[in-house]
Amino acid sequence: MNKKKGWISLLLSAVFLLSACSQGNNESANSGNVGSTGGEETTPSSTADSTKDNATLAPAKLKIVLYGDESNRMKELAKTEFYDVVKKEINAEVEFQFLPWTEYGGGKTDLMLSTGEDFATYTDTNYMVKSVAKGLYADLTPYVAALPDLSKNVDEASFTAFQLSGKQYAIPVGNKPNSAEFYSVLVRQDLLEEVGMTQVTSLAELEAFYDKVHAVHPELVGYAGTDARRMLLYDYTDQNLYWQNDFIALDESVQDDKIISWFETEEFKAYSNLMRGWYDKGIIPKYAATNVPQLQSDWNSGKAMIWAGTAARPFEGAATISQAVPDAKLVNYFLGTGRPKISRGTYSTAFFVSAAAKDPERYLMFFNLLQKNQELYDLFAYGIEGTDYTLDANGRLTKITTDSLIPDWLLMNKNFIRFDNTVPDDFIADYKAWDDGAIISKGAGFNFDNTPVKNEETKLNGVLTEYLAPIGSGFSDYETAFPKALERLKAAGIDKYIAEYQKQFSEWYAKQSK
Amino acid sequence: MPATENKGLLVFFYICIAVFSVICLVPFVLAVSGSLSTESRIAAEGYSFWPRGFSLETYQFLFGSKAEQIIRAYSMSLVVTVLGTLTAVLVTTAYAYVISVKGFRLKNVFAFFAYFTMLFSGGTLPWYLLSTKYYHLGDTLLGLFIPYVLSVFLMFLMANYFRSIPHEIVESAQIDGAGHLRIFFSIMIPLGRVGLVTISLFYALQFWNDFYLPLMLVTDQELYTIQYLMYNMMANIQFLASGNAAHVGGAIIAPPLETAKMAMTCLTVLPIAILYPFLQSFFVKGIIVGSVKG
Repeated sequence: MNKKKGWISLLLSAVFLLSACSQGNNESANSGNVGSTGGEETTPSSTADSTKDNATLAPAKLKIVLYGDESNRMKELAKTEFYDVVKKEINAEVEFQFLPWTEYGGGKTDLMLSTGEDFATYTDTNYMVKSVAKGLYADLTPYVAALPDLSKNVDEASFTAFQLSGKQYAIPVGNKPNSAEFYSVLVRQDLLEEVGMTQVTSLAELEAFYDKVHAVHPELVGYAGTDARRMLLYDYTDQNLYWQNDFIALDESVQDDKIISWFETEEFKAYSNLMRGWYDKGIIPKYAATNVPQLQSDWNSGKAMIWAGTAARPFEGAATISQAVPDAKLVNYFLGTGRPKISRGTYSTAFFVSAAAKDPERYLMFFNLLQKNQELYDLFAYGIEGTDYTLDANGRLTKITTDSLIPDWLLMNKNFIRFDNTVPDDFIADYKAWDDGAIISKGAGFNFDNTPVKNEETKLNGVLTEYLAPIGSGFSDYETAFPKALERLKAAGIDKYIAEYQKQFSEWYAKQSK
Repeated sequence: MPATENKGLLVFFYICIAVFSVICLVPFVLAVSGSLSTESRIAAEGYSFWPRGFSLETYQFLFGSKAEQIIRAYSMSLVVTVLGTLTAVLVTTAYAYVISVKGFRLKNVFAFFAYFTMLFSGGTLPWYLLSTKYYHLGDTLLGLFIPYVLSVFLMFLMANYFRSIPHEIVESAQIDGAGHLRIFFSIMIPLGRVGLVTISLFYALQFWNDFYLPLMLVTDQELYTIQYLMYNMMANIQFLASGNAAHVGGAIIAPPLETAKMAMTCLTVLPIAILYPFLQSFFVKGIIVGSVKG
């Protein structure tokens, strides 16, 4: 009797558990089908076309992961126009998947890579080095020939940046003037003119601008950031510094392989004292130490006077600010002259393909479409003419919907980009000429393998946040705070880290110059 | 004298609790007041306990631009909470019954299996593999609650509760010829009502608040829950504002307005906040009853 009872209860619990699981299997299979049939609604006609055009290509499925919010319009187009075009051009069914930005370079992206999913998404050199070491990226070298149009529209140096030991692990997209990123000061020209000034060419003028605006608009903050080492370069050093990471800089004005341990330099001291001055003066708001996100909202809502500049920020940023301040005008100024602008390469980002991908070549053919010609660029970045945007006689763009599609910062290519009516012609000319005379950093294409100094790097990052960042942004005084910070740096192993970096860099540099 | 002493102590405790409640309430009040303020005044003057320049603009904006998405996410959260709670309660009580039933030889083995997972877990990677590759829970409604249908802690709570039901009742039912199914559904479940309500509440709360399952298993916007929608929004703002975005080409995206964030928070908290006062007595009762045997 007891035994019988026992078996029955065993069965009971098993039935409940299994029913839950098996239900899961059935229904998930069903809803999976529902999802894909939803996408296939439009395919019959296009499949017919594409089989004619692409008889040689076997059908393939591509999954492209993008980060950020998926707009409604993007969702719609992903299932209709984008799907059709890709199907027609390369006989592949493309699916776009959106993840929150927190999952970029880790989190779910890592999970998807480690569990062998078939997808492609964008990366940066840091993430690439880490993932290639784990064997998670596909080696794309054999397929580069699948990029005939992209390689015409994307700079060659950008390709080198994503090579490791001569192998191509990611495909750069985008081609935009981006030398001297954050080396200029982006000034609210409308405020500048309001206080009777016309331009800013030196630190003294910049501070005068702050004082004058502060007198009229005490509610505005000065600089909406905490890092000004690039824009203040002319005021604390004669070198042309370019940072490899938070700890290491290169002097681009000399041709050698020497790396600079930034925090241990006299330049860092001079820079910190400048920042301390800004902090005391109130140019950097007191809450910046604890609330960095607030700074960006301040800037976006027109509550700040200056920001770090890039070639594109005057028009990228103006669109946002003008919602709060309709007549806002943004202009880039350098606080000195005579040093060439430094570029890391003109790419926006680069796509990798997961090692488990069945057909890496098809992914590359898809990347090629992204930068193939004006027509496809317009489609992916702006949508459908007449529905999503209109073009005037000069080719200027007016957006009808505000929904973003494939992020335009990602695709941005100077050969294809369209400006809207609010961007003045002279600005476009400036923008296109921005990179003239720029040099490619001598470190471009070098990727540090951090495995030998992983522990040191983790500790150093801790010291950076706790001790050095506050000094660098003026929140703590260099004289009083630095000795302790330096002690911590040494304890964390800065010397070993620098030595390892120098070793790898010198080896790589020697190979380059051969 | 003891009576006044007690009174003094009682007053003291009330004051402590009152202070604690006020501390808990402050952020919520700020969120509500923030959501009812105008954006420009928030930016200029910061938050306050009373809305600055009272306006409903934020809610109009939210429901104007994202109404469809919010409503869909809301209903998805509701569906997941209801379905999840029902399934979870069924599975949990069934398991609890099995390990609490007298005379079942393997009950300790089953109890150990469950207990073991409290101490050791396989980790995220195997979990993700299992859910996506073997159970195919990716992008399905089931994926939003199936992984959570058995909380071992609540299962033990329920088992304890079942044990507190006098065994004589079960025995007499067996004498009358009732099998386990009948005993489970006609005796244990009705008698275990308080425990059942308690675990249902815990489960409901868990399903309502969860954003991890959608983050891991869902990419289809149709399946976004309200918490995940929130998480997504906040995550994107924080990442872009943190400066990491510079690595990926210096993307500039306008973060939603300060007040919009607050309004979203209020919308998410609202249903639970309304429901809680009515149900909280069950929480306390359930835990106490479950813990005291006999």
